[in-house]
Amino acid sequence: MSVHLIIKSLLRRKVVTALLLLQLAVTLGLVVNSLLLASAAKELVEQPTGLALEQILTVRVKPTSASMRNEPALSEVISRQLAAIRLIPGVEAAEYANQTPLRQGGSSSNLFETDRQDESNVDAVPYYNTGSQIFQVLGTQLIAGRELTDLDKGTQNIILTEKLAKQVFGEQNPIGKSTNQGTVVGVVSDFYSQRYATDQSYGAINFVPMARAEMGYQLMIRVAPGQSEAVRKQLTDVIRNAESEMDIGTVMRMDENRDEVFRAEIGLATLLAVLSGLMLLVAMISAYSHAHFHALQMQKEVGIKRALGASKARVLLDVLSESWLTTAIGAGFGILVCYGLNISLAKVISIPAVPVWLPLLTLVLLLLCVTLATWYPARIATRISPATATKTL
Amino acid sequence: MEALLHNLKLSWFSIKRAPLPYALTLLILSLGLGTFFSNATLYYWMNRDPIPQKSATLFMARINSTPGDCTDCFEPPRVMSYMDMQKMSGSGIPSAEAAMFSSDAYAKTVENQQATPSQVELRVTQRDFFKLFDVPFLHGETWPDNKARMEVVISKNTALKFFSRTDVVGQEMLIDDKLYKVIGVLDDWAMLPRLYDVNGRRSAEPAEDIYIPLETAYDLAIQSNTQNSYFDVDWDGNMATYPQMARTNFANQLQFWVQLDSPEKVQQYQQFLKNLVADEKAAGRHTRPESNKLDNILDVQKAMRATNEQLDAFALVASLFLLVCVVNASHLSLNRYMANQYEFSLRRALGASRWQLQGQILADVLFSSVLAFAAALLFAQLGLWTINSLLPSTRALAGWDWQMVAVMALFVVLISYLVTLYPALKTSFSPLNQQLKQ
Repeated sequence: MSVHLIIKSLLRRKVVTALLLLQLAVTLGLVVNSLLLASAAKELVEQPTGLALEQILTVRVKPTSASMRNEPALSEVISRQLAAIRLIPGVEAAEYANQTPLRQGGSSSNLFETDRQDESNVDAVPYYNTGSQIFQVLGTQLIAGRELTDLDKGTQNIILTEKLAKQVFGEQNPIGKSTNQGTVVGVVSDFYSQRYATDQSYGAINFVPMARAEMGYQLMIRVAPGQSEAVRKQLTDVIRNAESEMDIGTVMRMDENRDEVFRAEIGLATLLAVLSGLMLLVAMISAYSHAHFHALQMQKEVGIKRALGASKARVLLDVLSESWLTTAIGAGFGILVCYGLNISLAKVISIPAVPVWLPLLTLVLLLLCVTLATWYPARIATRISPATATKTL
Repeated sequence: MEALLHNLKLSWFSIKRAPLPYALTLLILSLGLGTFFSNATLYYWMNRDPIPQKSATLFMARINSTPGDCTDCFEPPRVMSYMDMQKMSGSGIPSAEAAMFSSDAYAKTVENQQATPSQVELRVTQRDFFKLFDVPFLHGETWPDNKARMEVVISKNTALKFFSRTDVVGQEMLIDDKLYKVIGVLDDWAMLPRLYDVNGRRSAEPAEDIYIPLETAYDLAIQSNTQNSYFDVDWDGNMATYPQMARTNFANQLQFWVQLDSPEKVQQYQQFLKNLVADEKAAGRHTRPESNKLDNILDVQKAMRATNEQLDAFALVASLFLLVCVVNASHLSLNRYMANQYEFSLRRALGASRWQLQGQILADVLFSSVLAFAAALLFAQLGLWTINSLLPSTRALAGWDWQMVAVMALFVVLISYLVTLYPALKTSFSPLNQQLKQ
């Protein structure tokens, strides 16, 4: 059957065809944008973090008695908890901190080189009040200078992450430089710190104890590979045994923290993926019932064709090629819809621009679905024997 | 009535003749409607006016008082300092005003001191809070003034939880080891969305358990658990000096609300803020450009950038999905009516008027609507459940009241009619002669 003839037959049923095309166009637009959002979310989640996600456990704790949230009781409680945790088999290191890395927001402060505030100021740098095992827990590499040790407790010495040091001091050697937060004694490799900080991998580590634990504090535990579940099981009890007046949060592995940070993006991407699946299903149902109905309507025509010598394969191809043509035309309009939708979505959320190959890929997917759905009704059409089909003529 | 029953019976026969196409049409329609409803439910709760009787009079006030010399900083901070609050209050223009922030603590009763304390959500605020947002009291009343006092107002559920009864005015409670007297118990009350505090996108969270006077919180160093922004604060962390430090520095954590009963009052208050900033500038303070914000309660989510973009994006997509489903169902029902055309034409040939045919079509629409409505509600529940588990911040928004259900039912009838409109017209008005020849 020539394209010309199919188009003629489509034009005879203008409204039905228009409805079909509209539906196909919107479907393509939605599927393309959903795929785009899903892939953007996946990239966001899978970006390198500089942390051994499966080997770090975190748990937020908060003393339920107000006096224990202040010094000196606070330090004493923390060291008792850490000592107990370090005895659990499979634990390589454990440390407390005011906050964990890989978070949405949290405590941050501005940071600048003391005599160059105007040029070197960085607005939001997450800071970590913590202890000497933190580098082991996070698994950071020393880039320059030295790591902090127990001797640095309470001093104004700080460690910066590599990217932050570059930002503040440029090509100069940062070691020994003085900032508003203290003297830089070392630089460690980058890790994902806070999502909404000035930069996600900025971080400043000091050993100044927390003034108070009004918001609680975090215990971070580095475990040997494959040991995280075994340690996780005991952790809450160990912490409670060290100090009973303690509100203990859920023990989270670092990759769970990460999923929490990107939850909204992952959620939306999943929702849209589900919706895309439903759309394809709807497109398939529509293609199926259209072909089904059409096959019945065209019974006589098919019968005559068969009587005049058209093979079954030929009739099958006829029915399928009409589906293909409508899908292709609908998808053509769909490319417009998908750019339009992309622009409207970009006003609400951040969504990447549509790459050229994606609509084409979706078109292929759509064709595949439509073919699959048309197959059965098309087969029925070919099965009609010429004698039955032409009986009423 | 008899005609209706007869028509319903006819639709039933026509469905029974070809159940699969009918079921598919219904499936597609209810899928689209269900998705749309689940999204519309969240959208409705997120964007409704929670206090329609006075939303026009409630405003959140902010001034751009952050220290520092920044000539292009026009967005005032989301939270204000104690000093700002003092300057903005006491003008006499608003009929109610209160500063506030949220916090949390551990509480237990005096009788049951051995028990493990349970965590409670605190709202640290001033006496007018309850008047501002029409919060009903079950027992007792608000504080007589804004001074520090060891007295709290608690919610009904908190009273039931700690004392197992509601009339507990005069009872004492330990909150973070400090002794407070209960002076008021609220009746059931919730604001959804919780527009009096949307900072940190927490507008879908429930109202707090315990209300504590602001001055007391400053004295006891209770801090905000949403946002604490320190600007140029030089403090050694010594808790003894906290009350003094927090009251005299840019230790920002407050949201300040006023009730302005008429447009003139709004104007007066705006002028008051303008004068205030001019005075501050004259005194060498308020170094950033003047940028006073007086946001109405209904605009506050936008102003604080606390809208849920994921829901907005999904709303757009769900509406398009509904469009696809309606178009599709319409297409399918056209097929169905065309298949029944012979029957329709025969009826007309035997003398049925077009109006009688319309009656039958309406009965058909009614029948489909009922089925589609039931299925759509089912799909909407499924959809809500999915969205709630994927976006946990929407969990509080999933309920339906009877008004919503009624609107949804009406919507389903409307859409079902729309879907059958073209097919119905086509079948009842096409030339008889040609149809019967087939």
